Amino acid sequence: MLKLIARRLLQMVIIMAVVSLILFLVFDSDKFKKQIATAELGGFSVAAMSDHDYQKWLKDKGLDVPVYERYAQWIGGLLQGDFGKSFEKDAPVSKVMGERLLNTGILAFWVFFLMIPLSLIFGIVAGMKEGSFQDRSVSFIAVFTTSIPEIATAILLTVIIALGLGWLPSKSAMTGGWNSLELVLPVLTLVLYDFGYVARMTRASMAEVMTSQYIRTAVLKGIPYARVIMRHALRNALIAPFTVIVLQLNWLLSGVVVVEVFFQYNGFGKMLLEAALFGDIYVVQAATLVAVFVAVLSQIISDVGYTFLNPRIRFS
Amino acid sequence: MTDTTMPAPRLSLTQRLKRPRALIVLSLLMVIPLIAYVMFGEPLARAGIREIVLIPAIPATLILYALAMASWRESWVAILGGTLVFFWVFVAVSVPFLPLLDPNKPIRPFAPPGTEVGDITFWLGTDLKGRDMLSRMLWGCQRVLVWGVTATAVAYVVGCIFGLIAGYISGIWDEIISFISNVLLSFPVMVLFILILNYLGPSGFNIVIAVTFASAPAIMRIVRGLALDNKTRDYVFAAQTRGEHPFRIMVVELLPNVRGPIIVDACLRLGYTTVAITTLTFLGLGLQPPDADWGLMIKEASNLMVWQFSYMLLIPALAVSSLILGFNLMADGLREMSLRD
Amino acid sequence: MSFLKPRKDDHPKVHEAYEVMKDGRMDRREFVRVAALVGVSAGAAYAMAGIPSPAWALENSPFPADDPKAKKGGKLRVGMQIQKMEDTATYSWAEMSNQTRHIVEHLSMTGPDNITRPMLAESWTVSDDLKTWTFKLRKGVMWHNGEEFVADHVVWNIRRWLQPGLGSSNVGLAAFAAMRKDSGKKDSKGKAIMVEIPGAVEAVDKHTVRFNLKKPVLSVPEDCYNYPTALMHPSFKKPFSSNPIGTGPFTLTDLQVGKQAILKRVTKMSNGKPFTYWGGEVYLDEIHYYNFSNENQLSALASGSVDAIYEFTIEQMALAKSLPINIIPARTARTLCCRMQISKKPFDNHKLRQAIVKSVDNAKVKNLVYPTGGDVGQNHHVAPVHPDYFDLPALKRDVAAAKKLLAEAGYPNGIEVTIDVGNTDGPWHQTVCEALRDQMKEAGINLKINVMPASKYWEIWDTTPFGATAWTHRPLGTMVMGLGYRTGVPWNETHMASKEFDAALDAAEATFDVEKRKPLLGKAEKILQDAAVMVLPIFRPVYTGSSKKVHGFPPHPTGYHQFNKVWMG
Repeated sequence: MLKLIARRLLQMVIIMAVVSLILFLVFDSDKFKKQIATAELGGFSVAAMSDHDYQKWLKDKGLDVPVYERYAQWIGGLLQGDFGKSFEKDAPVSKVMGERLLNTGILAFWVFFLMIPLSLIFGIVAGMKEGSFQDRSVSFIAVFTTSIPEIATAILLTVIIALGLGWLPSKSAMTGGWNSLELVLPVLTLVLYDFGYVARMTRASMAEVMTSQYIRTAVLKGIPYARVIMRHALRNALIAPFTVIVLQLNWLLSGVVVVEVFFQYNGFGKMLLEAALFGDIYVVQAATLVAVFVAVLSQIISDVGYTFLNPRIRFS
Repeated sequence: MTDTTMPAPRLSLTQRLKRPRALIVLSLLMVIPLIAYVMFGEPLARAGIREIVLIPAIPATLILYALAMASWRESWVAILGGTLVFFWVFVAVSVPFLPLLDPNKPIRPFAPPGTEVGDITFWLGTDLKGRDMLSRMLWGCQRVLVWGVTATAVAYVVGCIFGLIAGYISGIWDEIISFISNVLLSFPVMVLFILILNYLGPSGFNIVIAVTFASAPAIMRIVRGLALDNKTRDYVFAAQTRGEHPFRIMVVELLPNVRGPIIVDACLRLGYTTVAITTLTFLGLGLQPPDADWGLMIKEASNLMVWQFSYMLLIPALAVSSLILGFNLMADGLREMSLRD
Repeated sequence: MSFLKPRKDDHPKVHEAYEVMKDGRMDRREFVRVAALVGVSAGAAYAMAGIPSPAWALENSPFPADDPKAKKGGKLRVGMQIQKMEDTATYSWAEMSNQTRHIVEHLSMTGPDNITRPMLAESWTVSDDLKTWTFKLRKGVMWHNGEEFVADHVVWNIRRWLQPGLGSSNVGLAAFAAMRKDSGKKDSKGKAIMVEIPGAVEAVDKHTVRFNLKKPVLSVPEDCYNYPTALMHPSFKKPFSSNPIGTGPFTLTDLQVGKQAILKRVTKMSNGKPFTYWGGEVYLDEIHYYNFSNENQLSALASGSVDAIYEFTIEQMALAKSLPINIIPARTARTLCCRMQISKKPFDNHKLRQAIVKSVDNAKVKNLVYPTGGDVGQNHHVAPVHPDYFDLPALKRDVAAAKKLLAEAGYPNGIEVTIDVGNTDGPWHQTVCEALRDQMKEAGINLKINVMPASKYWEIWDTTPFGATAWTHRPLGTMVMGLGYRTGVPWNETHMASKEFDAALDAAEATFDVEKRKPLLGKAEKILQDAAVMVLPIFRPVYTGSSKKVHGFPPHPTGYHQFNKVWMG
């Protein structure tokens, strides 16, 4: 088991090194340097710059150093916890990103807090009796909510709840300090989109367990139905949903981009988009590495957890 | 691709429909004119045949729909999904012939749904530039369908090629391909999209490239798995003993036999790609104005956040949701049917 | 009407301008502007022009008058893009200057009435030849660190801007350009390196600064309010945001680029003594800027996230009108210049360019995009708001003539051309191009519109053969002409190179009398118009908005924020 984890972690490090090197090479092009200059100074200023001014600007930004040297410096800094400096935000990347990650973390916490019980309950109820009315309605709701893309869910919720009923603010920029009300719509959007998927996975797993030999035996033995479900079925039925839920972390990093941009919530996803459009190299680098790290880590946890939880795999 | 060469190990989905070759011809008749119409509109218009190109697609779509409905009778989920999808496809191929206003012509800004101006009625209102929403909504499905289908198709071709190589040839190729796909799969999809499209610049063709990068590794894995599984089957051995070229074995023998799961996956993936295109366009990384597109409609209206103008957001949101719902239901129905076989 | 006469000791230019005005050859507002520039107080200048002095023209203060109903205290929340505040001298966006303008101040200040008044200077005088400018500084102006503001500080700032390699756009302003000379050295691209002329700026005594310019410049006070000319304390080190010492009523307490900039009133200097602001009453306690991209600002105002915004675009007007807000318009010379680059094919063909221009009805385009407000452009970039605007006969659309020209140009069967548009000021750029497309079609010109993201457009704006570039407001017609169309200047995006035009422009720039300048500039306008290098259909108004709670939010053609007399109801 440990060997497996170590191998996966090593693989992750290699992947991250490859990814960061590629990004460095891509961003080193003259085109990208020009893009940063344009984003920072404006098209008119860049056009008026003499070559001397432009070279000086490159030097100020530390972009005149050859790419391999910059990469080595950056790796060196990284080992000391220094992610470099953001061109756009004029602040250390670790500070900018830490704050944005925290915001997204809060968002993610509430999404999972609501989504896990909701999807598990729906999934279990549906899977207990395959083909029943409750099963069909849960399945239908689940297909329906997962089929509406986040952007459309966000629109529907905003139009109805914020613009129509006026119950909640339509933007989540938190201009007046932290306001939990502004968090509701983004959380709801993500939960609505995601819960259907997990519920369906839970349902499938539950349905499979319910048809298995030992549950049938337990029911035939006359053990109360509730006890069969709670004691025997759930334990095995929740293994598959566990891995799926962990993998949702990966999905969430994708999903938050559009939701944060739509609601103007200052989180990780919005930061990544802004940084990419600006050409803010070190922020893009750091954000990508964090995203890859979280994604790979969630894959590892899910794989390892599955192996650990599933006796059939563990002992075979 | 030929479909008649070998006995199948199991009755696959396409074979349940009686004449697969005719179906492929019909599908191509439906899709290719549409792709030509959207991607090569300029040269076609210069040749004066832009609209004419679409004419064969209309009967093809209707026949295909009738055939699909006939063979999917047992699954109402598939019927419902198929109906939604075919509705939009039909709209896409027939929209130039429908009696609609010019989707790019500003007439009267901010007219709410039902407004009558002279003898024109704006059933769904007009947008911020005064363009007819009904017309924009119907025209909007063309671009999303065309780029979605193209991107998915290209991703499939690339994914299948690499998957077959990795699964059938194995060895060092498998190692290399698997490593690259592992790298790509370790990105959250949207992060990969943002990085690629920011590098290449926003356009439909670049979306195809980005979707290929994001989807092909997953497709590669599926195909690789199926190829590994099928490699040991008798019919492959038979071909090998006949001394056939590995490439021929891959394409002619292996591929048709792994298509059942692939078709279901393709349906789901079409849905994902549609979501991706709409979302990326909303973020400003996808398709560019001025032509009508759902993502763009959302983007343009998203800074008009009041109840009175919310129809501008709701209409494209509902349109894109219905198309994706269609793809998902269709995939569900097809999976159900293929499991029953 | 009673006119106050200029005094004997007033600058000769005042007398000259007064006579010109009396003869009806100069607009009265223009007279006020000129008189104020050469050192007459705004109140006196208004009196000489015989027009009532507006509320803000108080003697000895550049700010609007106090509002007796005003409530003190509170915070104003403004939606704007939050940018970094590194070095005011190298600022390149108006937004960053807005974050700074409440902290550091200028020698002079141009008000919403387009009159420039003394700010940190108390008054100025200028020699008859307009070469020697003497600024008397206000006494008792304190820096936030407890030091007094003195002449040496001004000299330090200006000498800093003049250094080669700083890259401050200030050296492009006439006043500071006249303080530099060619060093004789060249940079790697063969461009001359410019250095400061010794003694160009000097401290005469503790409260007097003198500019000794190499050539006459009238616009010195106006140049001193351009946004990168804020005066910093000599202890300044980059970035400004981490040590924001100024003379203004506010200081920066928190800056998070892309999120927020929080400004609070200065009550104590860093030596512990109470801080008294020189500029009188300031009502607000705090100014909070919150980051909203341009397209989201109005929604933020609508949802109550902010009280005022930087700008909204014409497409959002219907939304703005449906909201309970104050809509604040300003007439400007901002424009969209659909220009062709005459060094690139096929636009090197003069007849083709003429055909393109002839096929468009500028007034119709303007009315489609800006049904109310705005001015029709005549394809020469000088706007009716410019005091030196010469009204050429209006352009007429002529499809038949356009077709004929197109055939003569060698395209009897029509031509397809592509215009790049980046919507850098909002989606209306694209609407303009679409209107052009529809009109050009009738003349056999097939216009393809290549829409790209704003950031991408700014990378190609000066190189694309055909592109729609947004130009900001500048106070004088000669300024835009000189920046954009003189041979070889960096912003000459049309690659126009006409000796005739340059000569006409030189003549206009050298003429002080506006009425005499107008026909001279008119000649340049005509040459530019005949060169047919652009379709410039619209001079647009800018719109901003504030909630009903906000009082005294000032309109400004370039969106400069000065909130001294703003209060919250």
